[in-house]
Amino acid sequence: MNAKSNNEVLIRVRDLKKYYKGDKIKALDGISNDIHRGEVVVIIGPSGSGKSTFLRSMNLLEVPTDGTIDFAGQILTDKKTDINLCRQKMGMVFQHFNLFPHMTVLRNMTLAPMKLLKKSQEEAEARAMQLLTRVGLADRAQAYPSQLSGGQKQRIAIVRAMAMDPDVILFDEPTSALDPEMVGEVLDLMKSLAEDGMTMVIVTHEMGFAREVADRIIFVDEGKIVEEGTPEEFFTNPKNPRLKDFLSKVL
Amino acid sequence: MDWFTKLVEEFKVAFIVDNRWKYIVDGIGSTLLLTFLSLILGVVIGIVIAAVRSTYDKQFTDMRAGIGKTLLRIGNGICKCYLTIFRGTPVMVQILIIFFVIMASSRNKMLCGVVAFGLNSAAYVAEIIRSGIMSIDPGQTEAGRSLGLNYIQTMAYIVLPQAFKNILPALANEFITLLKETSVAGYVGVTDLTRGANIIRGITYQSFWPLFAIAAIYLAMVMFFTWLVGKLERRLKNSER
Repeated sequence: MNAKSNNEVLIRVRDLKKYYKGDKIKALDGISNDIHRGEVVVIIGPSGSGKSTFLRSMNLLEVPTDGTIDFAGQILTDKKTDINLCRQKMGMVFQHFNLFPHMTVLRNMTLAPMKLLKKSQEEAEARAMQLLTRVGLADRAQAYPSQLSGGQKQRIAIVRAMAMDPDVILFDEPTSALDPEMVGEVLDLMKSLAEDGMTMVIVTHEMGFAREVADRIIFVDEGKIVEEGTPEEFFTNPKNPRLKDFLSKVL
Repeated sequence: MDWFTKLVEEFKVAFIVDNRWKYIVDGIGSTLLLTFLSLILGVVIGIVIAAVRSTYDKQFTDMRAGIGKTLLRIGNGICKCYLTIFRGTPVMVQILIIFFVIMASSRNKMLCGVVAFGLNSAAYVAEIIRSGIMSIDPGQTEAGRSLGLNYIQTMAYIVLPQAFKNILPALANEFITLLKETSVAGYVGVTDLTRGANIIRGITYQSFWPLFAIAAIYLAMVMFFTWLVGKLERRLKNSER
């Protein structure tokens, strides 16, 4: 574990299971893990391994069949927990950006803070402009998403999540839908977030990024965590044969 | 030019004598009023049905067992029955049943017409709205929910505004279909446009002018509304550029 993350566990996942069609398809087959505050965790694995399902379970976009998720003391898998309140503190960034096409960039970023955090319009817009300035897109505040490039859209999606001041941001293959020349600008932004101490859980295929930024890497296969470790031991000394096989294909 | 003089003479008898054109003008008013009120009723009921149906489609499998889930299942069943019945029987039969059976004690013919056409239209509007909701990428809902918006807020701010744009042409078609369908309202005594022409026919024993006149008027109204919707559509599209 990196020096910047402390020992406080932010998300505690225990024996998480997700079955489809009765129990014929096991997307998640008993996953347990702790995400610490300030930690950058990268999840890798072959397609269909359950890594996205695992990520999407953390804010209950996928409702798990069994197991518990504890987020800062709130048991998300307990039906008495107000999941909407918890999600305000868990940002999410999607592969396909999912910006709201009928709203300007600014409105995309102020909607949730105004409706949920009850910020005034001035307050929400000031914060949004501050974030836009940080990512160099302040001049695009009044643009609609259809007028932006893929890289710009994803950077907006990231600052939209940040506008809620979340405790953690979940990234679901944030660069997979981008043209190659736009991947860099998004990864740079994520890197700077990591340096600021944001807790991040990232599903990605960018091995170079994982090696450089991750505090810990988790390899998921067939719905299970097969191996986890620091980038160094992960890439230089993989133990599991399936991980070895996977790395030989992607590196 | 004998036939021409005759035609002019017939025109005078049909519309000018005794101010008979008033039947047509009043008929236009009634037809439009009936169509608008029916559509409003249809949209209100249609939204409710669409809300139940699409919530069932989107949420049911992920819902935890409980009273809410049971209510949703029952609600969805009722809505499905409603759709089957109102889309499976002729509107003419529906209006007769409402006028002569269900609302037999009401003497307000217009009200009966609005209820009948509104209930009928609701069945079609509901499916239009539902298809609009289902046409929006699930990623939009996920993005809204991941920010912490609840299901209703996500619908109201994110899904429905986009769905409305997609369904506008279909909704306009429904309005235009409704406008033409109301021509059977005369059977229960609503003095709509068609009924106005029939009254003139009854008085003058002439069919040519009254019938072609209302055909032209229906056509003009349909063309006008089609043009209006096209304009609105273009404006909505502009907001995204």
